[in-house]
Amino acid sequence: MEGAFQIIFNVLCYTSIMILVVLGLGVIASMMGIFNFAHGEFILLGGYTLYLFHIWGLPLWFGIVAAPFVVAIVGVVLERTIIRRFYAAPIVAMLGTYAIGVIIRETVRGLIDGLYLRVPEPLVGMFVVGDISVSKWRVAAILMTILVVTISYLLLNRTSFGLRVRASLENPELARASGISTSRIYAATFGFGAALAGLAGAIITPLMMFNADMGLRFVIQGFLAVMLGGIGTFEGSAVGGALIGAMASGLPYMVNPILADVLVFVVAIVLVKLKPSGLLSKWRA
Amino acid sequence: MEGIILNDHTKYSLTDKQFSRRILLQNAMWMSGAIATGIGSWVFPAKWSHAAGPIKVGIATDLTGPISFGGIPCSRVAKLAIDQINADGGILGRPLEMYLEDTASNEQIAVGVVRKLVQRNRVDVVLGGITSSMRNAIKDVIVGRGRTLYIYPQLYEGRECTPNLFCTGPTPAQQCDDLIPWLIANGGKRFALPSANYVWPHVLNEYARKSIEDNGGEVVLEEYYPLDQVEYGATVKRIMDEKIDVVFNTVIPPGLGPFIKQLYEAGFLKRGGRLSCVYYDENALNFNAAEEMEGLASCLDYFQNIDDPFSAKLQAAYQKIHAHKDKVLFTAGSGSTGMYRGVKLWEAAVKEAGAVDRDSVAAALDHAKIANGPGGPSNIVPGTYHCQMNMYIAVAKAGKYEIIDKADQVHPKECG
Repeated sequence: MEGAFQIIFNVLCYTSIMILVVLGLGVIASMMGIFNFAHGEFILLGGYTLYLFHIWGLPLWFGIVAAPFVVAIVGVVLERTIIRRFYAAPIVAMLGTYAIGVIIRETVRGLIDGLYLRVPEPLVGMFVVGDISVSKWRVAAILMTILVVTISYLLLNRTSFGLRVRASLENPELARASGISTSRIYAATFGFGAALAGLAGAIITPLMMFNADMGLRFVIQGFLAVMLGGIGTFEGSAVGGALIGAMASGLPYMVNPILADVLVFVVAIVLVKLKPSGLLSKWRA
Repeated sequence: MEGIILNDHTKYSLTDKQFSRRILLQNAMWMSGAIATGIGSWVFPAKWSHAAGPIKVGIATDLTGPISFGGIPCSRVAKLAIDQINADGGILGRPLEMYLEDTASNEQIAVGVVRKLVQRNRVDVVLGGITSSMRNAIKDVIVGRGRTLYIYPQLYEGRECTPNLFCTGPTPAQQCDDLIPWLIANGGKRFALPSANYVWPHVLNEYARKSIEDNGGEVVLEEYYPLDQVEYGATVKRIMDEKIDVVFNTVIPPGLGPFIKQLYEAGFLKRGGRLSCVYYDENALNFNAAEEMEGLASCLDYFQNIDDPFSAKLQAAYQKIHAHKDKVLFTAGSGSTGMYRGVKLWEAAVKEAGAVDRDSVAAALDHAKIANGPGGPSNIVPGTYHCQMNMYIAVAKAGKYEIIDKADQVHPKECG
C-alpha cells in the first residue's frame, strides 16, 4: 500500500513537471505555429530568477511569483525584436529560436561559471501521515500545476482575450478585419507562453540541479508531447505532457531505465504515427 | 485544422523576397560557421625572453559548455603553475609560453583547436581534456599524427596505456582500494551501484564490484541510466526495498541532485544507509542540501582541508588570483590537481632530459618525481604512464568534508 502510494505520487509529481514544461511550448506552437527551440532556455531563465532571489536572500516565494513576469518580459521583447521576423518561415524560426536559446544558455552558463547549483525549496520538509511521507514542495508542485492548467484553460477558453487569441489563430485576416490587432495578440501569446516556461522553471528548479543545460532535457520530450497531444489545442499539449511524463517516470518501475528512456519515444512516435494530428485534435478545429 | 499551422504571415510572405532558399542557406551557413570556429584562443607569453625562444605549453580544455566547471579551474591552475615556473627562472633557462585553447565540451571542435596547437603553434607538450571521450578524441591528434607529448589530468576509469600519453589523475584502484573496505566496515555489505550510462561508470564499477566481492561485500543492484535522467523514483524504491547498506554512486549531474534528494526523501539516510561517490569534491558540496548528503564518503587525491602545508599554500595562491574565490574552486574532481601535478612532473622531466624533444622528455617523464604537489608528493610509476599519489577518504558532515583516512603513495595499478 505504502509502496504503491509512493509510486503513484512519484509518477504524479513528474507528470506535473512535464505538463508545466509542455504548456508554454504547446501554447506557442498551437497559437502561433512557431516551434520555440528557446523554450528550454525560458525554463532556465525562470530557474535563474529563483536562483537570484536565493543568493540575494529574498523570500523564495517572491521568486516563484516573479519568475513568470520576468520571463514574459524577455519573451515579449524577443518577440517584438526578433521572433516576429520569422513568422514567414517556420524552418528559419526553428533555427532562429535555437540560436536565441544558445545565446541565453551560454550567457547563464557564464554568469554561474558553468556550475551545478542548488536552490532550496520555498517549502522545506515532508508531510508525514502514518508510514507515508512526501516532500512538501512536490505536493506544492502538483497543486500549482493543477492551478496553472485550470487558469490557462479558462483564460484561453472563457475570456475575451482567449477568444481573440483563438480568432487570430483560426483566421487572422478575418480577425484583423474585425479590429483585432493580431500583431499585438501574437506578442501577448508569446509572452504568455514564455511566462508559463518561466513559472515551470521556478517550480522545478528546487527539485533539480540548477545548471545551464537544465531546460534542454525537457525540450525534446516536450516537443514530442506537443506532437502527441495535437498541435492547435491547449488541452492537447496538457494531455501530451501528462502522457509523456507518466511514461517517463512510470516505465522505469517495469523495465530497465535505459530501455524505458527509449520506449517513451517509441510509444509516442507510434501514437503520433497512428494519429498524425494528435490525440485531441478532433475535439477542436 | 491539420498539421502545423502556418499563420497568416505565410501567405503574403512566401512571394516576398525575404524568404528564399538562398536566404535559408545563407542563414544556415552563417550559423554553422559561427558555431564551428569559435573565438576561444589565448596566448600568454612570459614577461622575459631567451635567445632560444620560449618553451611552448599547450593547454586544451573545456572553457565553455557543460564541462566548463572543470575546464575553467583547470586552465587557471595551469596558468598558475606556469607563472610560478617562469618566476623561478623558467626551464633550462627558457621561459614558458602558454597557449590556451577552448575545446568547448565538444569533441569535434576540440580536434580542430588541438590540431592548431600541435601543427600551427608547434607546442612542446599538450595538457588537458576532462572527459574520457575528449581524451580519446584528441589523443591521436597529439601523440599520433602530432608526435607531441600529451598529459591528461582528470580522474578516470584507467586503461589508457598509449605511449607518450601520461595520466596524472587518480585511477579506479587508487579511488577504490582504500575506500571500499572502509565502506564495508562503516556502511554494510549490501551495495547498490546506480550509474550514468557511459564509459567511466561501467569500467569503474567493474573494478569496484571486484573490490566489493573480494572484501566480503555483495553488489545487489547495478543499474545504468541515461545521462540526463532526472527522475529516480523507481531506483530509489528498489534501493529501499532491497535493504541496501551502501549506495556507491556514479550518477553524474544533472541527474545526481534529484537522485540524492529522492533517496533522502525516501528515508535512506535515516535508516542508516551510507552514500559514497568518488568524484565528490568541494564543488559537489553545492549539489544538495547538507542534510541530504550527510555522511557521504569520497576518496580523492586532495581535499582543501587536508594537513599539508604545500597544498594549503597552493590553494591560497589560487584563491588570491581569482576573484571568484567561492565559485570556481581549485579541487580534485575538476582535474585541477592532476593539471598542477602534470605541469610540475613535465617540468622535472624536461630539466632531467635537458631538452624538449618528445622522446627525451617522455623517457624522463616515465620516472619523474615531484616532492610537493596538491595532496603531497607524487611520481610516475615507470612503465605505467600513471602516477603514484596520496589518497584521502573524506566524509561530508554538515556541509563540510572531514578527512577520515589517508593512504600514502597508492599505486595506480594500470598498464602493467
